[in-house]
Amino acid sequence: MIEDRTSGLEWIMCMKYFEDIEVGEVWDLGQRAVEAAEIIEFATQYDPQPFHTDAAAAEASFFGGLIASGWHTCAIVMELLANYIKTEGLASLGAPGMDSCRWLVPVRPGDVLHGRTTILEARPSASKPMGLITVRTEVFNQDKAKVVQLEGVAMYGCRPIEAGETA
Amino acid sequence: MMYLEDFVLGAENEFGRYEVTEDEVVAFGNRYDNQPFHVDKESAKDSIYGGLIASGWHTCAMFMRMACDAQIGGERMASLGSPGFDDLKWLLPVRPGDVLSVRTKVLSAMPSRSKPDRGTMRFQIWMRNQKGEVVLEMTSMGRYLRRPMEGA
Repeated sequence: MIEDRTSGLEWIMCMKYFEDIEVGEVWDLGQRAVEAAEIIEFATQYDPQPFHTDAAAAEASFFGGLIASGWHTCAIVMELLANYIKTEGLASLGAPGMDSCRWLVPVRPGDVLHGRTTILEARPSASKPMGLITVRTEVFNQDKAKVVQLEGVAMYGCRPIEAGETA
Repeated sequence: MMYLEDFVLGAENEFGRYEVTEDEVVAFGNRYDNQPFHVDKESAKDSIYGGLIASGWHTCAMFMRMACDAQIGGERMASLGSPGFDDLKWLLPVRPGDVLSVRTKVLSAMPSRSKPDRGTMRFQIWMRNQKGEVVLEMTSMGRYLRRPMEGA
C-alpha cells in the first residue's frame, strides 16, 4: 500500500485549514498564570542562570527578583498557541522558524500572561498542499505591558480535495 | 568577569553535547507544545515529519542549556539577559537519538546610546546534529556590562 502523505493531516480531525484563515484575523490565545516553581523548574533544566533559578540571588541581581527564562516565555506562548490549535482544529504543520523575537519586559512569578496572534499575510506554497501564514504573536501581562513579541511564518495544511473534485 | 569589551569580533566557539531522548521530547511536548508530531509516536509516523520530532522551542531550550554549561551566560560574565533574537530557522527536524552541539560567532558589539554602562552583543548561532547537519541557526543577542573605567 502506498501511503498518501500529501497533506500529512489524515490522522487528525481538522476544522480550519489554510483556506479558512484570513489576513487580519486575530486569534485570542487565552491566558495563564506563571508561578515561581515553574520558572525555577524550567530554568534548572534549560537556563540555569541565578536570576532564573535562585530567588535570593535574583533579588540581588540586575533584575531585582526572579524572572522567567526568555525561552520559557516562548514555550508558554507555544503552549497557548498549541491549545488554541487543538481547540479550533487548526491544520497546523509546524513552522520553519521565527523571524524575530523581542523579550520586552521580564516575566515574574504571579504574572498572568494573555496572548494574541494576528494574521499578517497568507500565501499558498508553490510546491506542497499547504500555505504559509505570516503571524505576529504578542503576549501581555496583567498590567497590560507587552512582555514578548514574535513574528514569523507558520505552515498550515490545505483543505483536502474530496473525491470527484478537481484541483 | 567578562565584559562587553572582552568579546572579539569574528571569534568562533564550539561547545556542547546534548543527547536528545524520546522521553524528554515527549515530556516537553506534553507540557508546552502538544501537537501530535511532538507527543504521539504513532501518529507522528503518519505526519509530514515521518516520526517524532522535538518542538522547535525545545531545541532552543537545549541550545540555552549548552550555552549556560559553556558559561556563555553564567556568573563569570557580566550578563544582563537578552533582548531577543532574529532569523531563527529550524532547518531540520531534531529527533530522539540525535546528539546536538553548538557553534557561535561574535557578530557585533553595540554600546548602548542611552545607558553608557552596557551594550548589546550579537552572535550567530548554529546547532548541528551527529551527522554534522545544521538543524538550527539564529542571530541571538545578549546585553552585557561594559568594563568599568579606571578610577571611576
